[in-house]
Amino acid sequence: MTRKMRGATLLALGATVAMLASGCAGSGDDGGSGEDSGPQTLTIWHNSTTGPGKEYWEEAAASFTAENPDVKFEIQSIQNEDMDGKLQTAVNSGDLPDIFMARGGQKLADIVATGQVKDLTDVISEEAKGSMGAALSAFEVDGKNYAVPTAVLPGGIFYSKDLFEQAGITGEPTTMAELEDAVAKLKAADIQPIALGAKDAWPAAHWFYFFALRNCSEDTIAGLAGSTEFTDECWTKAGQDLENFAGTEPFNKGFLTTPAQEGAGSSAGLIANHKAAMELMGGWNVGQIASLTPDGQPLADLGWFPFPAVDGGQGDPTAMMGGVDGFSCSKDSPAACEDFLNFIATKAEQEKYAEAYQTIPANQDAQGAVADPALEPIMAAYNEAAYVSTWMDTVLGQNVGNALNTAVVDMLAGKGDADSIVATMNSAAARG
Amino acid sequence: MSDSQVIAPEGPSVAGGGSTPPPAGRPAGGVSRHGTDWRKRAEIALLSGPAIIVFLTFVIVPVLMAGYYGFFRWKGFGPPTEFAGFDNYVAILTDPTFQDAVRHNFIIVILSLVLQGPVAILFALLMNQKIRGRSVIRMLIFVPYVISEVIVGTGWALMMSDTGALNTLLAKLGLENLQQSWLADPKIAMGTLMLILTWKYVGFAVILMLAGLQSIPEELYEAASIDGASFWQQQFRITLPLLGPTIRIWAFLSIIGALQLFDLVNIIWGQYVAATAGTSTMATYMFLNGHMAGNYGFGSAVAVVLFLISLTVALIYQRFVLRRDTDGALTGDSGRKGKKK
Repeated sequence: MTRKMRGATLLALGATVAMLASGCAGSGDDGGSGEDSGPQTLTIWHNSTTGPGKEYWEEAAASFTAENPDVKFEIQSIQNEDMDGKLQTAVNSGDLPDIFMARGGQKLADIVATGQVKDLTDVISEEAKGSMGAALSAFEVDGKNYAVPTAVLPGGIFYSKDLFEQAGITGEPTTMAELEDAVAKLKAADIQPIALGAKDAWPAAHWFYFFALRNCSEDTIAGLAGSTEFTDECWTKAGQDLENFAGTEPFNKGFLTTPAQEGAGSSAGLIANHKAAMELMGGWNVGQIASLTPDGQPLADLGWFPFPAVDGGQGDPTAMMGGVDGFSCSKDSPAACEDFLNFIATKAEQEKYAEAYQTIPANQDAQGAVADPALEPIMAAYNEAAYVSTWMDTVLGQNVGNALNTAVVDMLAGKGDADSIVATMNSAAARG
Repeated sequence: MSDSQVIAPEGPSVAGGGSTPPPAGRPAGGVSRHGTDWRKRAEIALLSGPAIIVFLTFVIVPVLMAGYYGFFRWKGFGPPTEFAGFDNYVAILTDPTFQDAVRHNFIIVILSLVLQGPVAILFALLMNQKIRGRSVIRMLIFVPYVISEVIVGTGWALMMSDTGALNTLLAKLGLENLQQSWLADPKIAMGTLMLILTWKYVGFAVILMLAGLQSIPEELYEAASIDGASFWQQQFRITLPLLGPTIRIWAFLSIIGALQLFDLVNIIWGQYVAATAGTSTMATYMFLNGHMAGNYGFGSAVAVVLFLISLTVALIYQRFVLRRDTDGALTGDSGRKGKKK
């Protein structure tokens, strides 16, 4: 008990100190927030903790301040995994930052439902509307726009060209049969075919998402948001396809306890160190792999191909699934907030963003700035895709999404089958 | 022995109340009814007030709030509005994943007692002897307990992973057929967890036992050896019975700790795969299905269930096991206490 008490005391003390500190800061900036004229300070919460990403926000804020001397910024870099929790606390205390990161899907819809997010439909600039298209629609809730996208992160299979060559694989697999053939050849060459970070659950679930994307019709995928029953046969078919594929044992040894991104033993680390040949991942993986190579440089032989076509699937073989990063304004933020979002959506700013984050910018005019060769095929496939869906777990929201993810892991570990995945989704929908 | 020492300070204060009959505890308060003692009361209020306020705000109120939220379907945003009655509780108790988690918890409770208890007593006996390097051994055994759970978890997870140090070592020794998926194989994972838990917490048990051992009078052993008792006879006839109170208190702490186990599992298996690997606990279930899934109403209900299960176990233990230790101290039977000492 004394330990708990001491923790609580420290907390209270910390809170007092924090209040004192923020009180001092408040008196320094002439207390202008909330007014549209006069000096004001906007707070930003973003999720980049690395050098170039953090610098991007500082530079963008500085150049916006140069044009609008009245607007100053207070930028907070928040670890990605902490972001959702911090946002939730902020929503409950009515203390949202002016500008914060949004992830789309049900996660955004949950926050929008509290009425604390600004409706941006009429204030988004024509440039952003014209150049962002599909990415913008990822942040629509009930036909209104609640965020400006900054990057698109479509998923696909990353692979090492050197290891493919070693195993004698000549072309990039375009069908499941070819992928299974590649797996067999890699195994014969004593190379682990596919790295899978199942410890984090979602990387394993990506395999199910893509089988579903190929098996289900566009309408079924598009109607996913808010659905609580999963009756279409294509879900079961997707589970069976994954079960069959997993039966060829394509994944790295110990995939169940392999994390996705942390350290050389993670699935991204296995690719970065040529310990495994392929990984199904989102567009951020280029930067992730680069940070885990022995010299910290981008992996020279990193290639990418879209998820292969599936026999008898109702989905378009060019369809893609991925994430979209964006930023929202809180309800009570000053007009400078949307001005700033429009500012970072401009071509010039988006080009800088793409370079800093090593990613594909949401503004299609800024795609010329993408220099990394591994990103080029992703961008090409994205531009040609018949339609783009957001990650299934994002669309479904944390509740059903997480249940789906863990159910997929269970199946890969030999507990349960395709039917139990669908059953778990249904029971989770009933719980939340 | 150690617990009667902990409780001892209460003895004098009761005696200070100036009452001799056995049910002395209550009337002792009557003394302060004399008006002159208002300063003492003010002093007590002033000194304990802040602590009580903090305790109420950060412990009691959240507990009550969890009980309240448990009756709602609530996403954590804004005030809860969708009253769900006992739906959450029905969902929890009928969820096979939760039943698994409870089973894992009780396996951990029992194995912790069975594994750590004897090991701790043996180590304590060893270190109670005057041997060389005693303080070094004592430190080495206690170090794991002091290291943060996160570091322990990360370290063991790296060592026990499929491509980790242990499997590599086995390969280097030519023992490839002993290689296992120590963490991922559901048949082995619980064993691995118990190994790590034992390594981590046995130091705490050893320190408790050592303290207990040192309060056993040397004369008893001398008398026993004069009577011709062997070393092991002495341990079984003198040490174990006199160590009883210490063992019972340690077991109580161990049981509560095992029921609430969260951090090591969450670090080693992550947030998602503990149930798959067969090491999930009630607390990891709560974190995954309450916090990670954003179902804060449901999560609160899990917290209430976890609290009730822990409370039940604790009360049963108090009633049937600890009672013999607290008897003397709490009922004021000072004669018995004196005899024990």
